[in-house]
Amino acid sequence: MSGFVHLHVHSHFSFMDGVASPDTLLAQAAACGMDALALTDHQGLYGAIRFYRAALAAGVKPIVGAEIVIEAAGTEGDEGDLPPRMRLARSAPVGFGRAAGAGFHLTLLARDLRGYRNLCRLLARTHVRTGDEPSIVTLADLERCSEGLIGLSGCPCGETGAAVLAGLGTRGERVLRRLARCFAPGAFYVELMHLLTPDSPRYVAGLVALAKRCGLPVVATNNVHYAKRHDFRLHDVLASAGARTTLPGPYDRPNAELWLKSASEMRRLFADAPQACDATLEIAERCTLDLGLGSFHFPAADVPVGETAYSVLSKDAWRGLEQRYRPITPEAVRRLQYELSVIQDLGFPEYFLTVKDIVDFAKSRSIRCSGRGSAGDSIVTYVLGITDADPIAHDLLFERFLNPERRQMPDIDVDFDSRRRDEVIAYIYDRFGHEHVAMVATVNTMTARSAVRTAARALGHGIDEVNSFSRYLPWVSSRRLPEVLATYPECRDHPLLRPEHALLVELASELDHTPMHLGTHLGGFIITREPIETWMPLQWAAKGVVVSQYDKDDIEALGLVKMDILGLRMHSAISDTVALARSRVGEDAVPEPFCLPHDDPRVYETIAAADTVGMFQLESSGQRNLALRLKERDFEDIIAAISLFRPGPLEAEMITPFIRRRHGLEPVTVPHPAMGEILRSSYGVIVYQEQVLQVAKAVAGFTLAEADSLRRAMTKGRSREAMEEVHAHFTERAVALGVKRSVADEVFRQLEGFAAYGFCKAHAACFAVVSYASAWLKTYYPAEFSASILNNEPMGFYSPRLVLDDVRRHGIAVLPPHINASSAEFTVEQDGGAVRVGLGSLHHMTSRLSEVMAAERAVRPFSDLADFLKRTRAEEPAARSLIRVGALDGLGVTDADRPPTRDEMLALLPELKAVIARQGVAGDDTLLIAPARARGPVDTGHVSGWTPAMRLSSELECLGLAITAHPLSLARADLERRGVTWARDLPACEDRARIRVCGVRERAQTPRTRSGKRTCFLTMEDPTGLIDVVVFEDALNRYGDVIVKNRAYLVEGVLQNNCERGIALIADRIEPYVVRDEGRQQVRLRRGVGIGPLGPTLGGAGAPEEDTEDVAS
Amino acid sequence: MGRNRAIKVFDPRITGKPLDLFTAADTRLPVIVELLQSPWIVRASEMAAATSGLAGKQRERDIEVVWDGRPAAPRSFTLDGRRHPVDAIVQSWAVERSWWDPRRRLSRRCFRVLARGGLYDLAYDRAADRWLLIGIVD
Repeated sequence: MSGFVHLHVHSHFSFMDGVASPDTLLAQAAACGMDALALTDHQGLYGAIRFYRAALAAGVKPIVGAEIVIEAAGTEGDEGDLPPRMRLARSAPVGFGRAAGAGFHLTLLARDLRGYRNLCRLLARTHVRTGDEPSIVTLADLERCSEGLIGLSGCPCGETGAAVLAGLGTRGERVLRRLARCFAPGAFYVELMHLLTPDSPRYVAGLVALAKRCGLPVVATNNVHYAKRHDFRLHDVLASAGARTTLPGPYDRPNAELWLKSASEMRRLFADAPQACDATLEIAERCTLDLGLGSFHFPAADVPVGETAYSVLSKDAWRGLEQRYRPITPEAVRRLQYELSVIQDLGFPEYFLTVKDIVDFAKSRSIRCSGRGSAGDSIVTYVLGITDADPIAHDLLFERFLNPERRQMPDIDVDFDSRRRDEVIAYIYDRFGHEHVAMVATVNTMTARSAVRTAARALGHGIDEVNSFSRYLPWVSSRRLPEVLATYPECRDHPLLRPEHALLVELASELDHTPMHLGTHLGGFIITREPIETWMPLQWAAKGVVVSQYDKDDIEALGLVKMDILGLRMHSAISDTVALARSRVGEDAVPEPFCLPHDDPRVYETIAAADTVGMFQLESSGQRNLALRLKERDFEDIIAAISLFRPGPLEAEMITPFIRRRHGLEPVTVPHPAMGEILRSSYGVIVYQEQVLQVAKAVAGFTLAEADSLRRAMTKGRSREAMEEVHAHFTERAVALGVKRSVADEVFRQLEGFAAYGFCKAHAACFAVVSYASAWLKTYYPAEFSASILNNEPMGFYSPRLVLDDVRRHGIAVLPPHINASSAEFTVEQDGGAVRVGLGSLHHMTSRLSEVMAAERAVRPFSDLADFLKRTRAEEPAARSLIRVGALDGLGVTDADRPPTRDEMLALLPELKAVIARQGVAGDDTLLIAPARARGPVDTGHVSGWTPAMRLSSELECLGLAITAHPLSLARADLERRGVTWARDLPACEDRARIRVCGVRERAQTPRTRSGKRTCFLTMEDPTGLIDVVVFEDALNRYGDVIVKNRAYLVEGVLQNNCERGIALIADRIEPYVVRDEGRQQVRLRRGVGIGPLGPTLGGAGAPEEDTEDVAS
Repeated sequence: MGRNRAIKVFDPRITGKPLDLFTAADTRLPVIVELLQSPWIVRASEMAAATSGLAGKQRERDIEVVWDGRPAAPRSFTLDGRRHPVDAIVQSWAVERSWWDPRRRLSRRCFRVLARGGLYDLAYDRAADRWLLIGIVD
């Protein structure tokens, strides 16, 4: 007999103990002529489904299994109770996160579906039961779940192997007999590995002898951890980094033999035991797992007796139609009938009922929610209340969501108020049962930064050095690391460019896309009818929830229902704004913003003026620039704006013709008259995916289902031949309808050009509903809206500092934080004329202190620092932060007959804390403010004794906010001397004027461009507004490192100010700017951790820029 | 009789030569190979592993080896001007250590061969592309 099948194979889903992807392993197996391959990752089936699918596609038989960690089988009690010479050393822990365990290894293979389910159950029970304990399978569980499984005795880290290596043959025999009892007769093999170590011959011979004595068959494996020999270095690096040690790592591997060897090489190694190689073929033959991919498995819907899921869905939908459409139109009726019949034909009513169930719960608890994505194309989701955009009014096509020609699992994503999302999740667990619900996993893979850190740690570099290596590296694939280091300006003088780090760079680039962590999907839940552990292994995630070992693609492949319960902070902000506004102006004075008609001109004026900071989906610098050119006038314009500023339309450069045609700068031309009507709203440009379907229907007579299949065919990077086929089919159909061949060709060319880049209009329409609501609130309740945005940070495009600056620019007063006025959250005062800064995001602030402060203040205001400390028992770091941001300014009186300065309070603080600690709560009058040994007021004009620069630096450091003023407003005189143009004056400047601006960096983005050139879009802010700067590649090459390493810049360039391109500065010179006040005192712009008692400290988070020479002065 | 058959059937009691166990190479070879490959016997020289994977009497020197491609093993080697045909390959192993440190890197394919005069450990150094004698044991 010849041939061999590898039955013990680790992919990179063994998390830091495997190098190759399942695809790579399969390719190597296929190249070796093997017609089957197993995957046995540590402690799980993380890569099993993608391996299974890829194997079937490659024509290789997949064998699914796992290498588990199991308790000792050859000794009673604890290993430590044995005499030292009888103990076996246990290997380092294997497995990911809380599924990791240290113990003896055992290889399990699923023989059939029953075996697969048992393997899932065994892993799930072990991982979920153990909680924080190491995850180790018990023999009892193995016995219980062994049906349909084939067991192999494991690698040298298995108990039998370890016993043989330790010369404890008797124990090895005992282990084999015990393990064999756990499996069906003939389903347990003694696993032989000849790893070409000096011990290997003795190891193999010892195991063969034991197997013979126990009457067990032997099988040969190679403990594969990488596909090809030269990848052993990556394996060593991963194992070392995974075990938090340096090379050679926890296993101290003596050689590089754990690769996927050919059948002839394996048979040569086992020339003395050919039956071990034959057994691999026999096992592969016995394994006949069929996962039955392609069928769907829905959770049980709550259906009353005598009803079906369809009948319930149908009744709910018709009831919803009455509420949504007044009056009901024939078109709506026709459409609902059609959609319900398709849903019934495809067998999806239970899925819709499940989603509706969850949405209904949220609405019953006033938890704001809204559907998104292609689900918005359906009238069923609209009338069920899942989505909020009318599909008929906005020309949304059901076939884009559910194509009757393609039976694919529908995907309805719903955003919930992120603060109350946990209530929805709790309901899902209660409603469907904890055994039927789990969260979806995500696999986080290495990018350039993480790969560099991993390789550097393994190579033994210290943490400071590792930080210096990864700092300033852009977020790119590590495969591009050598190119990025050589060409990116921000990497100029990067330490990795030194020759001694060439190996590190080489290793890091080879680690590209290696899985690092199993994360938890932001909101994906799996809901199953059967207990979920029969479908997939589960484990505890770091955040304390049970998570599947499969990601969303695996779940979809299995045909299970995945619900995205996403948290949207904008929903929380909208709810908060409404609540704040209603508390100020009355409950009935503020309508529900989601129910407003979309026709308020003031709202569109606000958007068109690019005054959109905080608005959902409309606030980014690109969107603001687009707003100035688009000048939104109605709801369709909002949908267009959301759609146009997306990677696809941007890459296809759809914006330029759209804007030019809208302003009449070029004619609207379409190759076929039918397209004129379809593309009327987008001026003849194919912006939406739905338009592709409509054009194919109108020009070539496709049904919408056929048209969607055509769109998908065009989207999926087909070969030239395949595309030609699609082209010929389209043209033939069009010509048959009397369309000229040249016209049909031109229509197809346009469809082909835009199909891959178009955006789903339904998704944009669903978002536009939220955008309009946020725009309306910002227009009418700006103070409440801003306070709510700040209370729900982090969210949106901008930092809290910029949002607060935006508040100030709208003429709303920014009130400083104060212990007698501020709560944890930002609040609105002076009848909507002021926003009071909250203390919740202050450095070192605790929720306990916030609560105590509120309770004590309700009794009486705090009179001074001592009173505050005594009544709240504030921790010293929090008290220090409060003093530094001025929250105690003006409280108390010193001997100098004035309130103590911040310096004095900071100096007094430790002393007061010590006194309070000694005296407990007794003796109200024993604490007196004594003059502290501190410097006197630096600025006698302010109660704090600090200069504006000191106050501002402290605010930025402790709160991340500029409360006193915008940082650059302190340097106004200097900037005017330098001839700087302010942001508010830019619209009045001429197109192509040469100007100089100064701003604090808010965002710097380098998105992908069609030309492949790097362009940086820099958003800066000065005291008067936002400035958009475009840095093209040549300037970026010169100033890229300045952008990355500094926070404020002086930028010179040519202003672009026209309706076609909007307002932006094309930079040709960028210099760092160190912000100093008139007294030449520096303002530190970076948020950091405060140290020392004497005011704003240097050092903080280690920012170098403020300590550099003031090159611009 | 299963394993170690040559050892079990060997009759050492040959009249007149009480200390010389083996009268000829053909009787000696199988017994030695079986002894060396026995899983139950640990050689004293193997008790501590050095960088090559084995300890014992260490000698590292360049050596000329004639390679036999078919079994992928050395056929003979020349030591001190004398050619030593390989009687048997007792064991082979691979070493790959300290690859990240060019000064300490060790990348070898090693063969323990039985030849005239005892047991020799030959190693092919992949990095330097040369053969070494890394040990003479016994």
